[in-house]
Formats: sequence, structure tokens, C-alpha cells
Amino acid sequence: MTVPPLTGDLRTGVLPEDAVIVRARGVTKRFGGLVAVNEVDFDIPRGAIVSLIGPNGAGKTTFFNMITGAYTPTAGEISFDGQPLITKSRSKVRSKKPHEVTALGIGRTFQNIRLFGTMSTLDNVRVGLHVHMRSHWWDSVLRTPGMRVEEQASIDRGMELLELVGLQTRAEVWARNLPYGDQRRLEIARALATKPQLLLLDEPTAGMNSSETAEMTAFIRRLREELKLTVLLIEHDMRVVMGISDRVTVLDYGEVIAEGTPVEVRANPRVIEAYLGRGAAAEA
Amino acid sequence: MTPQAKPIQMGVIGWLASLAEAAMSVPGAYRQNFRRHPRRTIILTVLIVFAIVYPVLNREIFQPWNRHSSFPLPFPEDAVVTFMMILSIMAIGLNIVAGFAGLLDLGYVAFYALGAYTAAFLASPHFGSVSVILFSQVPPGFPGIHLPFWMLVPLGFAVAALFGVLLGAPTLRLRGDYLAIVTLGFGEIVPVVFKNLSAVNFDLGPIHLVNANLTGGNLGINPIDPPRFFGITFGSNSGIAAVYLGMILLVVAIVIARNLERSRMGRAWMAIREDEIAAEMMGVNLVRTKLLAFGLGASFAGVAGVMQASYQGVTTSDFFMFSTSILILIMIILGGIGNIWGVIVGALTIAFLDKTFLPYLGQRLQAIDSSLPNPSQFNFLIFGILLVVMMRFRPEGFLPSRQRAAELRHAPVGQAIGSAAVMGDAALASEEFADTLAAEQVVEVEAEAADAADQAAGPPTDPAADTEPPKDAT
Amino acid sequence: MDQIAQTIIIGIANGMIFALVALGYTLVYGIIELINFAHGEVFMLGSFMALVLITTVFKITAGTPLALMVGQVLIVIVITMLATATLNVTIERVAYRPLRNAPKLAPLISAIGMSFVLQNVALLIFGPANDGVDRILPNVNVLSVFGITNVTISAEQVFVALVTIPLLLALSWFVTKTRQGKAMRATAQDPDTAGLMGVDVNRTIAITFLIGGALAGAAGVVQILYNNTTVWNLGFRFGLNSFTSAVLGGIGNLQGAVLGAMVLGLINAFSDRYLAANWTNAIVFAVLIGILVFRPTGLLGQQLADRA
Repeated sequence: MTVPPLTGDLRTGVLPEDAVIVRARGVTKRFGGLVAVNEVDFDIPRGAIVSLIGPNGAGKTTFFNMITGAYTPTAGEISFDGQPLITKSRSKVRSKKPHEVTALGIGRTFQNIRLFGTMSTLDNVRVGLHVHMRSHWWDSVLRTPGMRVEEQASIDRGMELLELVGLQTRAEVWARNLPYGDQRRLEIARALATKPQLLLLDEPTAGMNSSETAEMTAFIRRLREELKLTVLLIEHDMRVVMGISDRVTVLDYGEVIAEGTPVEVRANPRVIEAYLGRGAAAEA
Repeated sequence: MTPQAKPIQMGVIGWLASLAEAAMSVPGAYRQNFRRHPRRTIILTVLIVFAIVYPVLNREIFQPWNRHSSFPLPFPEDAVVTFMMILSIMAIGLNIVAGFAGLLDLGYVAFYALGAYTAAFLASPHFGSVSVILFSQVPPGFPGIHLPFWMLVPLGFAVAALFGVLLGAPTLRLRGDYLAIVTLGFGEIVPVVFKNLSAVNFDLGPIHLVNANLTGGNLGINPIDPPRFFGITFGSNSGIAAVYLGMILLVVAIVIARNLERSRMGRAWMAIREDEIAAEMMGVNLVRTKLLAFGLGASFAGVAGVMQASYQGVTTSDFFMFSTSILILIMIILGGIGNIWGVIVGALTIAFLDKTFLPYLGQRLQAIDSSLPNPSQFNFLIFGILLVVMMRFRPEGFLPSRQRAAELRHAPVGQAIGSAAVMGDAALASEEFADTLAAEQVVEVEAEAADAADQAAGPPTDPAADTEPPKDAT
Repeated sequence: MDQIAQTIIIGIANGMIFALVALGYTLVYGIIELINFAHGEVFMLGSFMALVLITTVFKITAGTPLALMVGQVLIVIVITMLATATLNVTIERVAYRPLRNAPKLAPLISAIGMSFVLQNVALLIFGPANDGVDRILPNVNVLSVFGITNVTISAEQVFVALVTIPLLLALSWFVTKTRQGKAMRATAQDPDTAGLMGVDVNRTIAITFLIGGALAGAAGVVQILYNNTTVWNLGFRFGLNSFTSAVLGGIGNLQGAVLGAMVLGLINAFSDRYLAANWTNAIVFAVLIGILVFRPTGLLGQQLADRA
């Protein structure tokens, strides 16, 4: 896979098809009368770190959930790595199931941490490996050699991933007994276990102090460098967003109001207006 | 990091070799455990030896004591001990559904009934108009279908699993409490169907039934062929032979359940129990995983049903009531939902209370004054109180599951996986059992530490407050 | 035709009793999302309470003068409702309130335990056999006033309606018009926000159980005077039918529960009459499973947003 230079124009619709890992067109989600996401076009360039920002209720997490298959869009198309995630049969829109999306190579974390609390740290990661394991229940019952090889491999791989996030010494600890920052990192390790090409991080630095935030920012950058991952980030902390993003997209009331490099977006009057209100925008 | 175990040989030969190796490693593992935890190992050895010789001791010593009341507590009779084995198998199966996967099944008895009627149909003179005899020691030309016990067990397994999947397929997307009610309904319908299909009139296409007795109705079906191996009969008047058959089935059930627990599927079950949505997002196929839990859990009850019918020689729909489902549920809740050893202890305790202790107490009370209430008639008053009290004060049971921390801690990871194969599991398994016992002692002393180990229930603790799950007592 | 009309009348009378019990299920589920498994047993104990009051305390018989009988039956209803309401609140206090923050299935299991406790208490006190009273109300066909004789509406059936309909109207008034009723609806919508807005959530839940228990008590009296019989495990069958009614109507939805109860009453009556009584329970369960699988929101839909 060739990672294109990320210095050029990364806005939606500009890059050639093979340089884009996620392509969303006209994506809309309605909840009853509420339009949470409205006609959003969105490309994620391969190998980029893209941030999705916007005020509370702008539709960021809803958009996330449509990529991962948790929600089915009301209308629109999303494709991942050239494969459609949304299909239409007659008038009914169908989305791939979350576990199918995961198998294709999209991993995610959650805004409010959702670990398997009373499973060990290692087993949390091994659940992430589940999707690429092949042994059947009868293999488990008989403990066939194939199953044992696979189990051993899952332990080895799990320990590798724990080492990557610095939790290798805590492999046996229940996830819910880990400190907060470690839980965030374990969530990332678990997401990495699913062998993603694209990693979706929902507010990875929420609730962290500034040194933890800096550490997490460096870690996200490292993921991209070392694992050649593409990262889509929802984040409120502007220092994080401005520090690591190749591109920033701003949602407000479910619509894209701005897109561009961090510098461009920061200067965009519509963005300032969305965040601070009309008066502030006029002053600026 | 983890010491790499010997390369694992593939194929059937590799599998057999690993079994042999595991069996041969038992003495070594035992010596090692003995050196490391002498007290615990001795207790366990005594327990295991006691369990193995118990039926003989019971026949030779305890039952005479019972008769002469020379011991203040009653000892269960052979029939009760056999039932303890059957009920334990069911408890292990329900634990897969409710304990591992977190799906509350209130109609578990339906699968028990399906297993029992499978045996009743396929090993009795019930369908007297035909004579099908396969590998069964029944005179040729004898009416009815007669299959041997070793064929009934997998059939009971399959029938129950099939119905588990059929029930599960449309219902597993329901929320927990709705699922509980749907399964309750299924548990009520199945015995009603068996009860009512005793005079069926049906006329459609090639099928003509006039007053056909399909299920034996209120009277049920009897006599059902007793299990028979190598010329030995394991029926209701076979004494300790049936107890040993039950024990063997129970050990097989334990091994299967443990192997499932410590596998990819076991982890997926626990993940959906902990957080269904997160599990799905991490790639767990919810439908398949839940169906598997439902089907496999049901199959244990199917086998238990086959054993019940073959052992007793009779089955009627009255055996399969809602209260039986709840009895099994109480067993796993009392013992510690999720933990196989706790579940077995719970099953043995409740079965003993229900079938031996309460009737005995009743007898004693009646002897004092015949107007006193007989506690064996009010067993469910006691069990009901037990449920309410357990939910309030000890929802995790008395031997709570500590997940598999023990497994990972006591043996180097590679070795635990490499050598603990089907049979050699016993040493490791018993060690874990001892761990839970040890944990219980900690619990008695340090209630607070136990709270950290709570996983069946309890409010989520502040992640930063706790450091680690409690280590065992040693 | 007459037979069908007669079956419908029986079905509606059955349905009214189911409705009184179903409201208890639906109110409680609406507010704390708990299937109050013990609710059928509260009804059963109410019927025993009424039985005792009628036969041994007031000694009401068919020979009692009508005016006196009306007064005494009213007192029986009030006492029974008070007793079952107290019982239901006590159950909530003992078995459910301590589990308010526990995982969702813990209160359900506790409720099952409570249900067995109450059944066995009744078994202990009243024994395993059916208990009953002799017919008290006059044996008349109310429809004969209109010159109809081939279809019967008995005095008992009129009595059922006379108890049920005012109670349903009173409940509807309470829930929509009173301050406490509004607190109940607010708590059902969102207990946390209701708490922040100054609603005493524990008190509101207790009142919900109080009302549910009182309605079950009234249903118990009706059961004794209409069917003239009760037994320790009556609550299971009634609980099943009533819960199914609540689900059929859309759980949490009061009108739905009443509508569902009427449908269930009719299903019971028609199944007893035209199929066979020993299949009725299985049919009710099949209906329950069918609704939960195909239309879990019921006929009228859930009144409250699904908070799950």
C-alpha cells in the first residue's frame, strides 16, 4: 500500500479514489423528526489523521456510528476500502452489521469507556482478536491442536499489543480495576487487536490532564507512523486537534460547515460562529 | 514474555498425543502442587477420593447409620445422589446460558423434558406398532423403538440443542427481562404439549391419526429401557452403579463446560455479558454467539433428561414444571453464577436440602407432633426466601467466579494452554477449585476485598480506587 | 350465535379482572422497568383475604339482605385493597428497593423469589385444595329485563363491571389530573431528571406499588364473588394472563393494558369454549411469545420512550 504524501489538499472530493479509505456521500440520519446528520459528504484519505469536531449535538458520534454499522443511515452511501457498507434493496437501506464492519478493518473506541470490566486486561484484547480466529466450538470442546495453536497465538499477540500500549505488566488485572488512563489505552489495544486499517477514536483524551493528553497525542501519532493506520478522531480538546490532524472537518447541526487544514479551519468565521455564537464571530 | 510451549502437533494424532501427554503430566503436576500448596492439595485429594468412594461408603456405612439414626444428619440415598448428578449437569448447562453469556433462561426445564422424552420415545415399548431394535439388549420382535443409552445421549444433546436454537433464533434480540419471560413461556408450553398430545385426531394428506397417543399424556411413558453397558444395568434399582454413571456424565459435562469457558467462545460469551454493544463492535457476532450459548446450554439439559428417563424408567410431564427451572436457577445463584465449581457446590447443596434434608426434618417434626408443618412441602418457601436474600446480600453467590485470573497466574501461560488438555485438565481444574475455596476464606475475613471481586453485580466501583482483584489466600 | 355472544360476555368479564391485575404490572414496569413477578400472588392473597372476610368475618351469604350485603361487600373491597396495597408496598421495600442500582436481572430474580414465598405462605395457611364461597349474589339474568333470555349476563358479571369501571376511571383521573400522578409519569419518563426536578422518586415508586396492590386486591374480591373460588397457585395463571395483557397493549400504557386484558379475556373464553381448557395456558404463552418477538411495543405502543 502506498501512503500518499499528506501535505497536499486533503479535502473531500479532491483526492483520487484509491487514495481514499472511507468515502461517504449524502449521508443522512434522522431520528424521528430530528435530523442528526444531513447530507454529509466525507472522505478519509489513506494514512491521514482526520479530526471531526463541532459543538455538542453536532452529529459527530452519530456519523461515527454509521461508519461502524451501529446505526443505519436514512439515506446516503458509505464505502470502506472500495467496498460498500450500505446497500439498498428496493427502498430499504441496509448497513453491514458492526461485527462485519470490524472484520473488514475498522476498529473503534468509545466516548465513555466500554471495556469488559470483569475480564482480565489480556482477555479484553483477546476478545478483539476473536473476529480473526477460526476455531469452532467443537474444537474448544475437544481442545484440538489447531485450537490450541490459535489460543497460544492469541495470547502472544495479545501480550504484544499490551506491550505496545504499556500494559504488559497488568495482563491479569480486571479491566475495571485499571486506572482511567490505562483503561483508555486498553480500549485502543483492544481496537488494534481487530487488525484495523482505520481506527476511530471517540474523544480519546476526554477526562485526561495535560500531560496524559500529550502522551496520548504522541501515541496516536505513533500509531499512524508505525502501524500505517488511518485515524478518524472526535475530539473536543483543540490543542490535540490542532496538534496532530492532517485535516479537520467541522460539523454543526449535522452539516459540514468547514473543512481544511487545522490552520484554515481555525481562521474560518463560520467555525468561530458555530462555537462561540454570532456576536463573537462579528467581533473576530 | 511467555515461555513458548513445545510445538503443538496437528491432526488427530497430535490430539491423541496431547491427551496422552496431559494424562501423563498429571502425577508431575500433582507433585508440584503438593510442594507449592501442601494443605490445599491434601484437602483436595481427600475431597476427590471421598467423592469417588462415597457411593460405596454410603451403601456400607452411611445408610445403616441413617436407618439407626446414629448420625444427627441424614445421608442421601443412591437415588438422591444420582439425581444430584443429573441436577448438577443441568446447573452446569444453565450456567453456560445465564452465567457465561448472561442470558436469563427461566424455561430451562423444557430442554430437560425434551431430553427425557427423546429417551422415552426411542427406548421404550411406547410406539408398540413398530419394532425397531438397534444395538439394544431387547429380545428381537419386542414392540417399540429401542436404542441403546450411548446413542440416546448424543440424540438428547442434539434434540435439546436444536430446540434451543429454534427458540433462540427469534428471541435472542429481545432485552434480558423479555427474553426471560419468553423462555418461561416456552418452558410452560413444552410440558403442556407432552401432556396433551395423548389423544390426537389428525387427518391431513397421508397422515391419519385417530385418537393417537403420542406422548402418554398424564401417565407419561414407561417402562423406559435402563442404561446398559457390558451387561450391567444402571437403572433405578441398580444402586451405586447408576451413581457412578451419573458421576461420569457429570465429569464429562464439567470438562466440556470448562473447555468452552477457556476458549474463544467463552471469551465472546463473557464479553456480551459484560457489554453487548461493545462486544459487537469488537467483532463478536451476537446472533451466532448467543445462539451457541443457548443451544449448547440447552444440550446439557437434554443429556440430563436422557439420564433421568433412562434411570427412572418413567417420565411424565409433571416432572417438568416451572419450579424445576427455578430450582436450577437457585443452584447457580447460590453457588456463584459463572463459576462452574460454585455451581456444582450449589447444585449439590440445594439437591441435598430439597431431597434429603427437608424430608428428614419433616419426618422428625411429624414425629414430635403431626400437626407441625412439614418443611418438605414448603421447600419453595425456603428457596424463595433464599433468592430474595441472595439477591440483596450476596448476588455473586458463595463461590463467585474470579474469571480466569487464577489460571493465568499459577501456571506459566504457555504451559497452562499447552498441557491442560481434555484429561489433564483435572489437576489444573482442581487447583482452581481450591482457589475459589481459598477465596471464600478471604471473603469471610475481609468482606471488603470480596467486594472488589464482585462481578455478578454490585455498583461499578471507581476505577481509580481499586488496584487489583484480590489475590488468593496463599 | 348465542353461544358466541355468551362467550364474548364471559370473555369481557374475565378481561375486566385481568385488567385490574394487568394495570399493576404495567404501572410498575412503566416506572422501574421491572416485571413484578410477585404481582399475581398479591392478587391471589387478595382473593384469600376477601374469602376470609366474606365467610368468617362478615358471614355474608345469599340470605343477607341486599342493602346490608352491598355495604359489607364495599367494606370487604376497601379492607382487601388496603391490605394488598400495604403488602405490595412492603414487597417493594423489602425485595426491590435495595436493588435499585443492581443489574437489571437482579430485581427480576428477587421478584421470582418473592412470588414463591407468597405462594407458599398461602399454601401454608390455606392448604393445597381449592377454597371457595357459596354463591352470594342472586341468580338472575340481567338481560331478562330487556326480554332476552337466550344470552345471560349474571349478577356477578354486572358486579365485576361495577367494581372495575369506576376503579379504571379513578386511576385514569389520578394519573392525568393529580400532582402525584404527574410525578409518576415524570418518573416513568426519566427517573433521574424527575429526581432533579424535585420529585421524590422513592415515594413515587412506593405509590405506584400502592396503587397496583390496591387494584390487585379489588381484583381478588371480584375473583371470589365472580368465580367463587381461589387456590394458592391461582396467581401464576392470572399473573401470566395479566402480564400478557400488559405486553399486548404495550407495556407502560394504561389504556393498552385494559384493551389487552379484554383481548386476553376473550382468548381465554374462546379457547376454553371451543378448543380445550388444557390448551389455554399454552395458547396464552404462545400469544405472549408472538407479541414479544414480532411486536414488542404491543398494540398501542409503549407510552414511554424505551430507555434501554
